[in-house]
Amino acid sequence: MSERLDVLILDDEPIVGKRLKPALAKIGCEVEIFVNSNEALDRINEKEFDIVVTDIRMENIDGLQVLEHVVKKSGRTKVIMLTGYAMMAVAREAMEKGAFDFIAKPFKPDDLRKIIAKAAKALGSPIDFNASDAGND
Amino acid sequence: MENGKQKELRTLEGHYDRIESIEVARKALLDRKRMSMRFLMYLCFSLVFLIALGTAVILIITNSRVEKKLRFLEITNDLTVEISQARRFEKNFFLYGTNLNDALENIYHAKNILDQNRSELKKILGKDEHERIISSIISNINHYEILIDRLIKTEPSQMVSPKFHSTKKEIEAELRKYGREMIAFAQDLMKKERESLRRILSLSRNLHIYSLIFLLIFLMFVAYLFGSRLLSHINRFTTYAQRIASGNFTPITPTRRYRDEFTDLALAINQMTQELEEHEATIVQSHKMRAVGTLTAGVAHELNNPLNNITITAHMLLEDYDTMNKDEHIDMINDVINETDRSKKIISNLLDFARESSSQVESLGLEKLLRDTVDLASNQLKLSGIKISFQTTGNLPRIHGDGQQLQQVFLNLILNAVDASSKGKKIQILLVPADEPNYVAVKVIDTGKGIPEHIIGSIFDPFFTTKGKGKGTGLGLSVSQGIVGKHGGRISVSSREGAGAIFTVILPITTIPDKIMHQQVLL
Repeated sequence: MSERLDVLILDDEPIVGKRLKPALAKIGCEVEIFVNSNEALDRINEKEFDIVVTDIRMENIDGLQVLEHVVKKSGRTKVIMLTGYAMMAVAREAMEKGAFDFIAKPFKPDDLRKIIAKAAKALGSPIDFNASDAGND
Repeated sequence: MENGKQKELRTLEGHYDRIESIEVARKALLDRKRMSMRFLMYLCFSLVFLIALGTAVILIITNSRVEKKLRFLEITNDLTVEISQARRFEKNFFLYGTNLNDALENIYHAKNILDQNRSELKKILGKDEHERIISSIISNINHYEILIDRLIKTEPSQMVSPKFHSTKKEIEAELRKYGREMIAFAQDLMKKERESLRRILSLSRNLHIYSLIFLLIFLMFVAYLFGSRLLSHINRFTTYAQRIASGNFTPITPTRRYRDEFTDLALAINQMTQELEEHEATIVQSHKMRAVGTLTAGVAHELNNPLNNITITAHMLLEDYDTMNKDEHIDMINDVINETDRSKKIISNLLDFARESSSQVESLGLEKLLRDTVDLASNQLKLSGIKISFQTTGNLPRIHGDGQQLQQVFLNLILNAVDASSKGKKIQILLVPADEPNYVAVKVIDTGKGIPEHIIGSIFDPFFTTKGKGKGTGLGLSVSQGIVGKHGGRISVSSREGAGAIFTVILPITTIPDKIMHQQVLL
């Protein structure tokens, strides 16, 4: 069992965080969830996360601004973008700004777990993806 | 469903009302005596011809009368010459005792002239006049002739007798008397005829002048009649054209007592407005579908959130079903149900708006209508990162109108404002009493790029667009203006480049009975 990954999930839809937290916990992630981007940014300033998962379209501060903030603050943090309807232009912009990957809504929890695993590997601390196996496929 | 059917019925009823009103107008237009412009024109030309013909006939008659008078003058002149000649010989005889046979010859000639022209003179003078004048002349001539004859006969034997001298004197006096009378008669006749000839000639001259003046006045009257009638027709149809252009499709009804060629034009225009109205309905509908298309991107985007929530929740429920307790199961299933409801609402708003329905007039509260419209546009607004606020003074009177069409107008204004604004800007919608009494105003205010002054005059023109090729039809504001115009309202705009724009829609509130308003909007 490798080290636990610190993950921050930011989405203004409360259900996303509520359901993803246990899903990611299963593959060994320590998850903090936020629905308000200001609060999330405050938390990011306090703590360096391994992975930040953020929705792009939100009130006030959107996902791209969060991405810029994270990249500026901590180069090693991997940022995974959640997009609504696949907007290629925005996704490309996110990738150019240094996002690790993006995933289009609606997605299955496993889709996100696969990307988290990929990010963990890139971080040099691979996680056991199969730990979440129960009941999948 | 029930409501939908009812609406459909009422719409159908409205359609029949339209067709019926056009049919009624058609009957009224045709149910008049026909007096075509062509007929009137023929009538006037015929009258002019008749006047000219009458003048010509009178002139021909006068002419022949003049000819007769001239002929008569000629005859009387010949007569006078012969008689004067006879008198000259008579005078010579008494003065110098010259031959008297020549005088007799002249008298004979004079009688001959009267004889030869008897029928002609009778014609000229008329039977009675002829009898009176000619018989007196003839009796004078006869007396004269007898006296001359007596002189000639008595001459050779009694030339020297003293009795002859007195007889001669006697005869001379009598001869002179008859001679004078003959001359006087002939001259009197000539004088009378000359006088009458002068009168006829002056009458003919006056007739010429008067008929010309009459013709001139008549032609001026005809020209004025036709000119003013044509002009009034043209003015009338110009008004119709302007009325139709402003969206009022009321059929043309009769205004004159008789029908003519312009009645055919009116019928054609009534037919045209009916078709125009159908085309307009198509344009309004197709423009609505464009708005629906624009909104669909926002809806599709927004729909992914509840869908994502459902997917994640369902997957986690499947994954952890055995390890979770009943409360957790119920919580997750409730999430799925709520998110499904949310999806339904997102779509149904749009579907309600997209549903095809033609003019449907009812009492409307603008506040609810505007809130619904803001909801409908909200997905699009979220997608563009633009905020919207709606404020009202509240307690405003209701209006009468077609809710769907008005919603289309406001949605169009909001979407235009979205297009003009950049991310982070705000759109404000105000529902307030208008400056004019009995009107309410809806203001759509944006702080976007504004409208340049040189195009602000043409933004309501059909097909005018500032959006790129394939992005705008250029019909939005034109269609909106048409709809608002039909409701008895107006759209106005004020804008400063770089500082945003304010579109103001004013609509009349319901102050008159439903039925009248219903008809007014329907037409």
